[in-house]
Amino acid sequence: MEAPTMNKAVERELLVPEAPDEVWHSLTEPAWLGEDASIELEPAGEVRAGERSGFVEEADEPRRLVFWWSAPDEETSRVELDLDKVEGGTRVRVTESRPLELLTLRARDLAVELDVAGGTGPVAYAGGAAPVMG
Amino acid sequence: MPAADPADAVFSALADGTRRDLFALLGQHGEASATELARELPVSRQAVQKHLGLLAGAGLVAARRAGREVLYHPTPGPMSEALEWMAEVGRQWDDRLAALDRQLARGRTSA
Repeated sequence: MEAPTMNKAVERELLVPEAPDEVWHSLTEPAWLGEDASIELEPAGEVRAGERSGFVEEADEPRRLVFWWSAPDEETSRVELDLDKVEGGTRVRVTESRPLELLTLRARDLAVELDVAGGTGPVAYAGGAAPVMG
Repeated sequence: MPAADPADAVFSALADGTRRDLFALLGQHGEASATELARELPVSRQAVQKHLGLLAGAGLVAARRAGREVLYHPTPGPMSEALEWMAEVGRQWDDRLAALDRQLARGRTSA
């Protein structure tokens, strides 16, 4: 799995001695997400935390939770929570990214790339798929 | 068109996975020495030094001397906004995961 160029993603991990079931259950008491937080652990469920709000994209109990959220005047970001059963407990891995922004960045990169290429042929850079013709 | 397009340098500097990691790490730290950065990456200090040199050549990082150390920091530009976001979001998740851990820990003692 290759990380796309300039993907603005943040990853954090937490290791706890509880089993994934128990961790999943704890996610339903959403104080950990922030003040006045609430989260409905089902697709299209509502997510609220402070001034942030959003919706659940995927809820695969007790393994994976994906939601989108944003604060007012902020771009929307996507949060993936993966609960992996490991020896002695659960690894909670969280990834927050801004895929929508990645699209605009990528468009800008391609524009630069095509400009730089001029008449000399395609310029490759790692992770960036060159536009494929036909 | 200028002889050397700065975009070439930026793209080739960020074309390498280790340099991307290094750049992101530097964003999280704000400022760090090659030795500190090497501790968090699976490469030697010498390799980190070389990668930092390439990032500096592309104008993505700058260095300053602090006593007997050279400290690197990301330079302002289109990427710095991204790095600030990453640092801020990283801090927020550190807090939330710590809160989740405390929440689970309450069950550990009372159960």
